[in-house]
Amino acid sequence: MNFAYVQLTLAQLRIFARNRQMLFFTLLFPLLLMIMLGSFVGQGGGVSLDTVIVDHDGTPQSQSLIASLEFQSVSPLKAIAGSNETQALDALKKGDKQFVIVIPKGYGEQIAAVSAPSASSSASAGKLAVYFDETDATRANLGLAVIGQLVDGVSKKITQYKPAVTIEGKGVRSLNLKYIDFLVPGIVAMMIMSNNLNGVAGQISSWRERGVLRRMQSTTLRAPTFIAAQITARLLLNGVQALVLLLIGSLIFHTQVNGSWWLLILFVVLGTLAFMAIGFIIAGLAKTPDSAGPIAGVISFPLMFLGGVFFPINSMPAAFQGVVKLLPISHLSTALRQVMNVGAGMSELWPQAALLGGWTIVAFIVASFTFRWD
Amino acid sequence: MTSAAEAIQNASDSGQPIIEADGLVKRYGAHTAVNGVRFTVMRGEVFGLLGPNGAGKTTTMEMIEGLRRPDGGVANVAGFDTRKNLQKVKEVIGVQLQSTSMFDLLKVKEIVRMYASFYPKSLPVEPLLEEMMLKEKMNDRVKHLSGGQKQRLAIALALVNDPQVVFLDEPTTGLDPQARRTLWDIILKLKKQGKTIVLSTHYMDEAHILCDRICLMDQGKVIALDSPERLVRSLQSDSAIEFRASGYESLPEAERAGMVQLLQSVAEVKQVDMRKDVFILYTDNLQASLIDFIGKAGAADLSYAELQTRTATLEDVFIHMTGRSLREE
Repeated sequence: MNFAYVQLTLAQLRIFARNRQMLFFTLLFPLLLMIMLGSFVGQGGGVSLDTVIVDHDGTPQSQSLIASLEFQSVSPLKAIAGSNETQALDALKKGDKQFVIVIPKGYGEQIAAVSAPSASSSASAGKLAVYFDETDATRANLGLAVIGQLVDGVSKKITQYKPAVTIEGKGVRSLNLKYIDFLVPGIVAMMIMSNNLNGVAGQISSWRERGVLRRMQSTTLRAPTFIAAQITARLLLNGVQALVLLLIGSLIFHTQVNGSWWLLILFVVLGTLAFMAIGFIIAGLAKTPDSAGPIAGVISFPLMFLGGVFFPINSMPAAFQGVVKLLPISHLSTALRQVMNVGAGMSELWPQAALLGGWTIVAFIVASFTFRWD
Repeated sequence: MTSAAEAIQNASDSGQPIIEADGLVKRYGAHTAVNGVRFTVMRGEVFGLLGPNGAGKTTTMEMIEGLRRPDGGVANVAGFDTRKNLQKVKEVIGVQLQSTSMFDLLKVKEIVRMYASFYPKSLPVEPLLEEMMLKEKMNDRVKHLSGGQKQRLAIALALVNDPQVVFLDEPTTGLDPQARRTLWDIILKLKKQGKTIVLSTHYMDEAHILCDRICLMDQGKVIALDSPERLVRSLQSDSAIEFRASGYESLPEAERAGMVQLLQSVAEVKQVDMRKDVFILYTDNLQASLIDFIGKAGAADLSYAELQTRTATLEDVFIHMTGRSLREE
């Protein structure tokens, strides 16, 4: 019977290897995600904040303000001086520009009054009007913060303010982690989930529909041998695919693997087992291969967004978090992330391992009841 | 393959039952697919299950193969009860299922080797493929095989464990005449090797040529079981006159009865069967019956078309017993 196990595993691996299209697309999708999200979001400065400054004042003070705003080339704020306020506001409404800063007439006089050594504390501050498009909330918030900071700097210089307290950002892990470091483990988790949910459910239900399983049922082959071979072949496939993704991440995006590769492999294996078992349940429930795909999709699509693949779980509404924390995908992505980013060991990750193991066992028990040869 | 000595041994065993089906019943909801089927298959014979689609042939075979649990009755294969000793039954049978597709991406020899690995003992792969005329295809992928080649591969897989009983479920359905002939030769060769073959088909010519005995099935029941020759002889006529009486169905009741009476009075006619507006007259004396029929039909102003005469076949046996044709849906 061991011989049958080897032959079935080999057969499944041959089918994988000869199904080029399947291999290509199951790797292409996570790769594309990684490259797209990795290069657009991960490498910093993607957001442009085009700003027009309209100067109604035309004094040395206003010129100096414009200069200091324009000088901030490191910030995403790109300022150009312009004189026509109506034109500038039109451009803002059309979305060509994101901000319009208007320096009112009399700004120079006000600044002079405030900065004079004899200035009384009652002298009012110069006011700049900042126009923005409130429908684009993310950019509006980001831009207002940047402009606020810059103006604050200018203001402090004018009043010769000396800060008493400052802050210095320091990550406690002293690791220089980027979004891509967060992203890659999530994408590996997502690939493991979708390959196994869709792959197992689709293939097994199609084999059943086409009578392939019945034909095997009429031999002395036993179901556990068949399932063991399926598991082995899929573990090998997923291992190699995960490795390819991790290597590409590490070579192109310099993602870090701070923890043990063995632990990483262990979690890839655990994740594969858990999602294969769920795939077997779907294959058992789906009446036709045509319904297996949509059922797998209905399960995997929300999991992809809820499971901490793209966003940290902590940033979700509290009501969701309780449910999300029971999902296998959350634990797989958390565990992979912890191993890769922080270098966590088994002593810290045993809850994740236990939960994935629990899912595997429960799902295989359920699958053994729903599994049908025909 | 079975050695010559074994073949002789098997041949001398013929006359001993190898399959005993007793009162098999299978229900799907309110529908009873197989209703008390009972027969015995002798060692070394080709046993045919003949009937239209939906007669219960496949379900009957699958209950004997142990693929479906009977709702009633018992099936024994080579002395093993399919309910208690299924694994033993599976060791001595080989199965070709109706329209099974295989792993398209595997090569012929890979798939045979894989099936061989499922059994405690199996035949060497290459001689088996040679016998099935697939040796030059052994490195081709299954999806590149023709329909006939795929069917021969399915039979090779059914033989890989050197079984005593081979089940072939409609092996020639959908094949071109050439491929059917090739498959018939293979089946007769297997019989010569001493294999017991259970074959289902809805082609009466195939059943007639291949089978030692035929179990005629309809609506889940056995309606006749005998050798093809004896089944045809049961019509007590060796010839048939067939024609279509268009408009017969719309005639008034009295006229219809009169017409049947007229046909029964034709010289030497033993039986009159009809389905819809097609009539069949069975006779032992074709010439006398035909001349008398034409005369009487002319005198009675009976209009007929598509007149033909032929030798009586298994199809006629089926029509005689059920009033329906084998090929009707």
